[in-house]
Amino acid sequence: MAPKSDLLQGTLDLLILRTLSEGTMHGWGISQRIQQLSRDVLQVNQGSLYPALHRLEQQGLIEAEWGNSENNRQAKFYQLTRDGRKQLAEETKSWERLSTAVARVLAGL
Amino acid sequence: MIRNLAVRLGSLFGREQQERELDAELRYHIDMLTEQHVQRGMPRELARREAMRLFGPIETVKDDVRDTWLSRFLEVAAQDVRYGLRSLRRSPGLSLVVILTMALGIGANTAIFSVVNGVLLRPLPYKGGERLVELHQGAGDPTDPANDLGFSVKDIADYRLSRSFSDVVEFHSMLFTLLGRAEPLRVSTGVVSANYFDVLGVQALHGRTFVEADDRPGAPAVLVLTYDSWVRQFDEDPLIVGKVFRLNDRPHTVVGVLPPVPLYNPQGSAAVDVFMPTSACPFRSRQSFVDSRSARMMSVVARVRPEATLLKSAADLDITAARLTKDYPKDYPQRDFRAVGLPLKDEMIDSFKPTLWTLLGTAGFVLLIVCASIANLLLARMARREQELSVRAALGATRARLLRQLLTESLLLAFAGGLIGLGLSALAMRLLVAFAGRFTPRAGEITIDLTVLAFTFGLSVLTGLVFGSIPAFSQRISAAPALRDGRRTSPAGQRLRRVLIVAQIGASFMLLIAAGLTLRSLMQVQNLDPGFRTEQLLTFSADMAFDRFPLTLKAADRRAKQSEYWRALEERLRALPGVATVGAAGTFPLNEAPPFNGRIVREARPLPPGVQPPAISVRIATPGYFTTLGQPLLAGRVFRAADSAAGPEVAIVNRTAARMYWPGENPVGTRIDSGNDTLITIVGVVADVRQQLDRAPGAEVYLPLFQSPLLQSTWILKTDLPARELEQSIRAAAHAHDADLPVSSFRMLEDVRSTTLTPRRVVVALIGMFGLLALVITAAGIAGVVAFSVNQRTQEFGIRMALGAQRGGLLSLVLREGLLLVVTGLGLGAAAAGILTRFVGQVLVTANPQANGPLLVGIPPTDMVTYIGVGATLILVALAACALPARRAATVDPMVALRAQ
Repeated sequence: MAPKSDLLQGTLDLLILRTLSEGTMHGWGISQRIQQLSRDVLQVNQGSLYPALHRLEQQGLIEAEWGNSENNRQAKFYQLTRDGRKQLAEETKSWERLSTAVARVLAGL
Repeated sequence: MIRNLAVRLGSLFGREQQERELDAELRYHIDMLTEQHVQRGMPRELARREAMRLFGPIETVKDDVRDTWLSRFLEVAAQDVRYGLRSLRRSPGLSLVVILTMALGIGANTAIFSVVNGVLLRPLPYKGGERLVELHQGAGDPTDPANDLGFSVKDIADYRLSRSFSDVVEFHSMLFTLLGRAEPLRVSTGVVSANYFDVLGVQALHGRTFVEADDRPGAPAVLVLTYDSWVRQFDEDPLIVGKVFRLNDRPHTVVGVLPPVPLYNPQGSAAVDVFMPTSACPFRSRQSFVDSRSARMMSVVARVRPEATLLKSAADLDITAARLTKDYPKDYPQRDFRAVGLPLKDEMIDSFKPTLWTLLGTAGFVLLIVCASIANLLLARMARREQELSVRAALGATRARLLRQLLTESLLLAFAGGLIGLGLSALAMRLLVAFAGRFTPRAGEITIDLTVLAFTFGLSVLTGLVFGSIPAFSQRISAAPALRDGRRTSPAGQRLRRVLIVAQIGASFMLLIAAGLTLRSLMQVQNLDPGFRTEQLLTFSADMAFDRFPLTLKAADRRAKQSEYWRALEERLRALPGVATVGAAGTFPLNEAPPFNGRIVREARPLPPGVQPPAISVRIATPGYFTTLGQPLLAGRVFRAADSAAGPEVAIVNRTAARMYWPGENPVGTRIDSGNDTLITIVGVVADVRQQLDRAPGAEVYLPLFQSPLLQSTWILKTDLPARELEQSIRAAAHAHDADLPVSSFRMLEDVRSTTLTPRRVVVALIGMFGLLALVITAAGIAGVVAFSVNQRTQEFGIRMALGAQRGGLLSLVLREGLLLVVTGLGLGAAAAGILTRFVGQVLVTANPQANGPLLVGIPPTDMVTYIGVGATLILVALAACALPARRAATVDPMVALRAQ
């Protein structure tokens, strides 16, 4: 197993929003998807995943609904709200600006 | 702690479900993690453990999640408050009415509660005050003043031996003359055993209290001043300790000043001015008094040992009393002689309790009406806000969220009202203390303390929730009405408003009945003929010093000299310009001095052994007393100059005594046994007078002052001069007669008559004020409901008009609607009153505005005049309240009305 990477503050929220932009997902699914997309570099710490999910829900960026999972069990499914979508767009933009800037500095251009 | 609170608050809004869901959510995650490991070939058991390890400490995760809820909760609460304030500002008139109504309700309750708290609830400010009891001994029920014998020095020594009590304190009070200031001063003196202040745990403010040595026979005489007397009579003299004054032929040194603590005087209404140890009292220190087991004039306070219960101490008292009757049959001839102890706290407040509970109950009733009224106002506002709420619901606000918003607004209103109410009651504090001071020595303890603040806060939250939840929960908030016509209000809401109004009318009816009954009773008492004249009568007290005629004189000689002393004073007073007649007595009617009870037995008609003759009030008077007061003579003659120490002993009885002891006979000429081997001839019968306005006259026997001279006398002068002017010449005459004679308490009898009713008047005024408040609130409520319904039916009225309905018809239609509410309310109120009058009447009958008269005098609790009067008033007020909206209904322009919708 790859070592856990500590995520930059605020990054987890962005990753969650991004993951949910693909569709409705439960907590487990989100953690799996992030791990998969990052090719196992990013492993979401459940200790911060669930508080983050609930925080985003309280902020109205995502909303939750109970439904049946693929293995036919009751699970809590999250999806983006309109506010969440807007937030994702903004944060993605600012993240890109930041990472480009960091990349430029590192490249010494 | 905050989290705890949030969890508790949260449970109001479905917190439990939230917890269950969190559990399920996390469990799902762990299950999936386990499954993943199983699929990779791990045994299930191991996979589960590995999943748990990877997941980390589950409780920490849960806590972190809950934290997001909490911060959200607080954020939302702040939002609710902001939104609520905005929404309240949008209808400032309504908010103001609600806050003021609330302030009156809370203010009334806070004020009365602060009295209840200071006087009834708080423990006595004495060391272990709850273990202090006052002892009583006597036949039958010794706590009845008529049976209470008091204690002799020897009695007290015996009770000191009883095992239940750790300390036994002796007390009696007397009036002494204090000399050494510009004028002789009459001081009400508490004569106590040296341990008195130690047992109470009261320490001196200046100087010291008594020590054991002060109470030894022959010790130098010392005094301790009460705080009140130090302020009032000694001008807060900072150098008072060490000063020497003369009392009873001896110099007394002031050794201390007490702090302002409540001090109970079990022996009368006069508050104690100074304390002295028993060794200094000229009566108490005489050897013959100390040696006599039946010389009883003391009261006793005892401290129950911590290991003894009140019950055990009662048993112990029974044992002591039984032993006393057995060992000294001559000194305890009563058949059922008993001793009991009552908690000192009860003794200090007992006369006030029923009045206080009555007031608190009335205030509580007002608060209920206030709640109903505010709920009604908010219901009306809800109807107007339905649109707004529906829109918010349509935008995704949940029902819980909206309810929360509405309750937040109600609580904001309640807090504002509570705060102003607290301010109102703080303003009333001085009046309340003065009012309570007439009933209990504990009045000084009435303040707004933490308990009162907590009470007000709790009451505000409670009322806020009560009046807030009624409209909030009555509404079916959903997105639907926003899409339809938003102006229609649900019929359920309208019905609820009617129910609330009917309840309000019923409650007001009962409150007004109570107010009406007490008011009628007050008028009855005020217009009562007391049987004597009160106009143009000036009274004052004059008290002969104990040592004016030494105790060493032979009793008969001393009596003769004392009689002569008073007779000489009478002559000087009669000679004053402006004085028509002069009379003197032990006390005058309406004075609140406790009666002096005696017992009379007719000549040659001995009672069976062990049977006590009934108590009769013994009064002492001069010949001029009856004429001056205008108390009519019914038979025989009044006293005359020849009824002196030299003449044969005579007495006069009042009509009640004549009926009781001489049924169908003329008492004049018969004789009674005075108990010490002399026979007293009855020479006259006088009419009954009321010694207390609110009390029926009892049996009285009058003895001539010049035959049974008192040291304390009260004088009554008929005059047409202003009191101030006459007071100067009376002082001069009295001091010319005896420079050491204190004269005090100058008052016109009319003023006495008026102030004796003050407590009753204040109680009635308070209940009346509460009743009026209820009436106004209810009237406003009726007007509101009817106006609202008229508003709702504008269209209907328009159609009726268009179809030819007459204005008068519409007017009466609306009035009838209002009247229906009132009559239903009255019906329910009367039905409830049927049950309640028994209770209210009982309460009013037991409530003592003056420790000696019930609140309801001369009026039955079922007084028809009051019921009909109050009912008619309510109907009139309700009709007036309906008139405005009814006029509007009748003047609806059909065209406008039809177009409006």
